[in-house]
Amino acid sequence: MPTPPNKPLPLPGFEHIKRAWNEVYAAYAARLNPGEYYVTRNDECIYTTLGSCISACIRDRVSGVGGMNHFMLPAVPGDAGLKSEDVSYATRYGNFAMEHMINEILKNGGYRKNLEVKLFGGGRIIAGMTDVGKRNIEFVRKYIAIEGLQVTSEDVGDTVPRMVVYFPSTGKVRVKRLRSLHNNIVVDMESSYQRQIVEKPESGEVELF
Amino acid sequence: MNKAITELVQGVDNLITLPDVFVRINRLVEDANSNMADIAKVAGQDPSFSMRLLRVANSTFYGFPSTIDTIPKAVSIIGTSQIRSLALATSVASSFEGLPNSLVSMGNFWRHSLYCAIAARILCKQAHKCDPDAVFTAALLHDIGELVIFNRMPQQAKEVLYLVLDSADELPVYLAERQIMGFDHAQVGGELARQWQLPPMLVECIECHHDIRSAQHFPRETALVHIANSLALMAETQTLDQKDVSPIDQLAWQIVGLDAGQVIPAVVGEAQEMIAEAEKLFIGK
Repeated sequence: MPTPPNKPLPLPGFEHIKRAWNEVYAAYAARLNPGEYYVTRNDECIYTTLGSCISACIRDRVSGVGGMNHFMLPAVPGDAGLKSEDVSYATRYGNFAMEHMINEILKNGGYRKNLEVKLFGGGRIIAGMTDVGKRNIEFVRKYIAIEGLQVTSEDVGDTVPRMVVYFPSTGKVRVKRLRSLHNNIVVDMESSYQRQIVEKPESGEVELF
Repeated sequence: MNKAITELVQGVDNLITLPDVFVRINRLVEDANSNMADIAKVAGQDPSFSMRLLRVANSTFYGFPSTIDTIPKAVSIIGTSQIRSLALATSVASSFEGLPNSLVSMGNFWRHSLYCAIAARILCKQAHKCDPDAVFTAALLHDIGELVIFNRMPQQAKEVLYLVLDSADELPVYLAERQIMGFDHAQVGGELARQWQLPPMLVECIECHHDIRSAQHFPRETALVHIANSLALMAETQTLDQKDVSPIDQLAWQIVGLDAGQVIPAVVGEAQEMIAEAEKLFIGK
């Protein structure tokens, strides 16, 4: 087995993202957990598992700088007790998740006019619960429309968890639908993320994890 | 045999029991002095099994031209050895209810197993030279070791699944299990089948479904279950791309004498069409 090349340096601010050599893709692969995002100018890939969460994959199609995020909107109390500040907190949280990544791309040489967007996730993998995946999809579509960005491909909704592998340098993406054996693990990861983000609203600040 | 596996399986001995109707029919099938009437009598004494048997016999699985309305008729048309397979297949899901776990829902677990069973049965009919009902049952049971591991070793099992996802789903589950636990679910399932004294064909299919080159007595049946497992994953995740699922050993295709390109789309499609009915018949939903 040939030794993998040296690991390319991450952009400042992304040192904490776990990266390892992936034999199958013959590339370094950055592993995103729920709530994280990663932007790179290197020839490497970013991957994550999605249940009801959303990943936006955005890149400058000319320079190849780009990244992936992984987020969901914080839960709001049941429909009856819906308060406007909860809804606005959820939207602000989503906006931040998108803006942080786009700003990093622009900061690292990307141009807004060159951005292409791909969207994944928002599945409904637990039957019967409120469709949080759908809410995430609606949010991100609206965000993209308001920002005047173009979605070049997407695979959202449905009832399956997904593994998304994205190469910002080429824009290539591989979406693998995961067997149901992985459902509970994916749900577990997303639930503990969901618990983290609902505990924060009273401060008024939005914090990404 | 790995001591850890034997102990693991002995630990669940009192939690899962083989269905009585299977044990009794099995004994009769093995007994040269018994006849069809004996088997029909035993089958008829279990009302729940009788009902399931008649439902399966009249389903599209068999597609018999006339209605099968009595147990003796079912036994004579379907065959005694096949009735034994059905006795196991229609009751195995309920016998594992005493072995709950928090990693996979029983519904999802048995759906994959059934997809595999249906695919194996279709492949078997095309490949000839083996008993479709026996292969169906072997495939239905192929992952039972997973239920033992999930129940007895939940922490390690969780680590296994995390490791698989960390590899971007490129590392097969059984290899992740070997890495973390030193053995895999196929070995555990094989040992359980052996302790249950299931027919040797079932033991080998379960034990070798990821390692068909170790199958010494029933390579053909084992190869069918091995292929069916990957086709089941395709049916479940709605893909026809072999790269999306566990790789199929080329030797398996040689052994069964089928061509991957020719059979995969049809078998996956047919399994998808049959799954809902099969769940009603075998898992009792």
